[in-house]
Amino acid sequence: MGIETENKEIEDSIRDEAKKLLSENQVDVVIGYSQGTVPLSSTMVIIRKEEDVDKLVWNNLCYINLARYLAPLMPQLCDSEGKPLKIGIVAKGCVGRAINMLAVEKQINLENIKMIGINCNGNVNRSKIDLEIGEKEILDVSISGDDIIVKGKDWEKKFPYDQYINELCKICQVKSPSATGETCVGECQEIESIHDEFADIDDFEAKSTEEKWEDIKNSLEVCTLCYSCRQACPVCYCNLCFVDQNLPIWFGKTTNYTDIFTFHLIRATHIAGRCVACGACSSVCPVGIDLNIITRKLEKIVKERFDFTSGLNAETLPPMMDFKMEDEEEFMLEED
Amino acid sequence: MPNPYIPYLTRVKSIVGENKANDIKTIELEFKKEEEYKKFDYIPGQFAEISMIGKGECPIGIASSPTEEGTIKFTIKRMGTVTSAFHGSEVGDIIGVRGPCGNGWPVEDMKGKNIVVIGGGFAFSTLRSLVLYLLDEKHRKDYGDITVIYGNRDPGEVLYTDVLDEWKKRDDIKVVLTIDREAEGWTEEVGFVAPIVKKVGPKSDNGVAVVCGPPIMIKTTIAVMEELNWGPEQILNSLEARMKCGIGKCGRCNIGNKFICTDGPVFSLAELKELPDEY
Amino acid sequence: MEQKILKKDEIGKLYKEFESEYNFYAPISQKGNIVFEKIENPEDIVLDYLNSKIPPKSVLFPQMEVLFEYTLDEKDVEITDRQDLDQKILIFGIRPCDAYSFELMANFFSFHGNWEDEIYLKKKENTTLIGIGCNNPRTTCFCTSVGGNPFNKENMDVFLTDLGETYLVEGISEKGKEIVNKLSWLSDAADKDVKKSQELATQAEESIVTKMDTDKIVSNLETSFEHPVWEEISESCIGCGSCAYLCPTCTCFDVIDETDQYNNRGRRIRIWDTCQSCLYTLETSGHNPRNTKIQRCRNRIMHKFSYYPTNYDLLGCVGCGRCISVCPANNDLRTILDKIEKIEKEEDEKIVA
Repeated sequence: MGIETENKEIEDSIRDEAKKLLSENQVDVVIGYSQGTVPLSSTMVIIRKEEDVDKLVWNNLCYINLARYLAPLMPQLCDSEGKPLKIGIVAKGCVGRAINMLAVEKQINLENIKMIGINCNGNVNRSKIDLEIGEKEILDVSISGDDIIVKGKDWEKKFPYDQYINELCKICQVKSPSATGETCVGECQEIESIHDEFADIDDFEAKSTEEKWEDIKNSLEVCTLCYSCRQACPVCYCNLCFVDQNLPIWFGKTTNYTDIFTFHLIRATHIAGRCVACGACSSVCPVGIDLNIITRKLEKIVKERFDFTSGLNAETLPPMMDFKMEDEEEFMLEED
Repeated sequence: MPNPYIPYLTRVKSIVGENKANDIKTIELEFKKEEEYKKFDYIPGQFAEISMIGKGECPIGIASSPTEEGTIKFTIKRMGTVTSAFHGSEVGDIIGVRGPCGNGWPVEDMKGKNIVVIGGGFAFSTLRSLVLYLLDEKHRKDYGDITVIYGNRDPGEVLYTDVLDEWKKRDDIKVVLTIDREAEGWTEEVGFVAPIVKKVGPKSDNGVAVVCGPPIMIKTTIAVMEELNWGPEQILNSLEARMKCGIGKCGRCNIGNKFICTDGPVFSLAELKELPDEY
Repeated sequence: MEQKILKKDEIGKLYKEFESEYNFYAPISQKGNIVFEKIENPEDIVLDYLNSKIPPKSVLFPQMEVLFEYTLDEKDVEITDRQDLDQKILIFGIRPCDAYSFELMANFFSFHGNWEDEIYLKKKENTTLIGIGCNNPRTTCFCTSVGGNPFNKENMDVFLTDLGETYLVEGISEKGKEIVNKLSWLSDAADKDVKKSQELATQAEESIVTKMDTDKIVSNLETSFEHPVWEEISESCIGCGSCAYLCPTCTCFDVIDETDQYNNRGRRIRIWDTCQSCLYTLETSGHNPRNTKIQRCRNRIMHKFSYYPTNYDLLGCVGCGRCISVCPANNDLRTILDKIEKIEKEEDEKIVA
């Protein structure tokens, strides 16, 4: 089935489910994606009335992780007394994973959430396309058959879809939310565990230590510390981020490479074991840095050490918040 | 024009604890260079950005009056990193001072009027500066009646007891002190500031009221003043905000199109009503 | 003939004329992003670009800037002022909207109260701008709606027009005319060159797609501070700060002391900050006047289109469109201003009825 046809089906199912949930009063609002006003973008929309469901779209440009809007919860999603509304949320697999993580960490109450599960077919890699097109204005991006059609004023380029989606989408194994029962309508599944080869970081892992440092430095040097990555991340919800603390001041906030690198490294460590591999951080970066080299490596280490994949259910605590009696402690105690 | 971010250097002359809890101290500073002290020409109500160089900077209202020559004083409450550094400083330490910043109390416009000074808690700092200025022999005749109403949680929190005692001895100023609840040994008024203001009942004709304190005190006091027929142009407030540069450049303390650090911190109630309801 | 021609392969030659006297900044491509950097090798210069990712405000108002340095002794402190503010700066290949942004920033950094930001103003005094017109404005550009133009030469010293194979060179200010005279090796422009440049200018202005009625916006905004439309406007915002960092007129900054305790020295620096950060207005007492996203989103728009115009009689936006194309949540400025215009229309209609 071509991507274009798949998208139409997914879009129709989102609209149908949303309409049903609203008309049956199962939810007060539905959060989803709607058409962006510039190419290679989409925007978040809050649907409050059934007749507005046609604003919801699915167009492979839906890179924001909508779970990000659930914690902290904004006043627009609460009633007049400040209590959370019943929220329907369009959930591709990684959004479902994020919602599960937020539930485990007690940031949201799953009773108020209805996931509208979809079988996600990936999102376009914005920075890759931008880089290929260069300094020409892109006026339109659309999916036709199995191709991404990029149009300018007097030019057009075609990109094969499966090669130009996000690296994380290429190896994704949780395309629809892992949730059951009352929490999810539409496409859902129950996943116990996944077998992840982490093939996306194979090339990087094969490099020597010096090459890795060089690569990371080249990549992070252009960072402007705008914190879009942190703001777009659904599991980065702290009221007072470590960056902003001043008792103590953990590290500098300047644009020296040391400070930039420290920020990214510490943030990656804080989300280790909790990252849901949605790739929103890399998609929103205004200078096109691929942050997932670092986060995926940490995810791999967590998988190897603790056999844990985040967001498959709303019960299991992530390894950095939990302990098991069989955890090895060779780093703490001397072997007898 | 010199770099406006470079502070004048001053030395700590004395540090005095002001309250029983010992988290409010007044530090007295002496300028290293005489000509810089002369440049630091201030009026009551202005503030300065004082820094522990190496730790940080914060905006503090000037507690001394320009009539107290030779040194300047700041009353600081220990709240965070920089203020803790001030509390831990010793006589002779260097403290950077940038300023004077802000518009200050309009002492020129207040001439010929009856002044009511209403303060709550720790916010009495710049009011000390104002009252000392008004009472100075060079200025006293320019102003009408002066009434001071100063409220605190308990007797241990009353600041500047030495100056207050001096004022009570005078007959050209009325001083009313109050605490929130009865306390042993306290012989003066008891009650929140607003009902005490009502009791004192300052007349609004030809009056200017200066109100400084925690938000709830200001709100209730203003309500009482309005009952007593005070108009919004007659009531002055000093606003607080998070500030960094203190000179209207970093953009942080804006309220509507005005900056609290340069267009304020003193605003009349009438002016505040024109501005967005953010603070 | 006043106008001259610069051949595209003569840029290196032009660079050599200035490199000894000036810090020469021009657009280069850094990992696919166009940014203004100090040029060491003129081959790096890219002039065939839409607009830079990071605005050239980063040259005169860098993301991190030293205010002064200090050394700490036992009981003494010594302060060293900036010594480099007299250096001459040349910014080559800047767009008209960004050149205008320097003027708007200068307004703001000039006297307000008793203080002037000497650091920015001195650098600006020593800056020469050689700009280039926009033959192909983007669909997100709206400079013509905010008093600008893709071929606005007003704020430039020297103005270039890309004619295809060559650039037309025009000295605009006195400083600029002197510079053009000094470059005696430039060939004279022919009448057809000047004519072509005028055609390109007209074409560029006509090609601007985004138009807004900014005249009404200032007064509209004054009456819409408490309107519930701000709830809708700020819904999708994720509170990052990309819009502020990449805006050529955003100048908010934070001040930090960085001390090297082992060597008893340090520096006080300023770094970019954004009113979109949730801690921007947080006071030590814990009170935060702007603790909701709604208030923060509103503050930014008000600042550009209401507060700045009230203080300086000019809009605080240059219409470069960077905030529109970079916003990760696609919170489009055009949609926002459209919504604000629409409320007033409803209210007007109510009054008429």
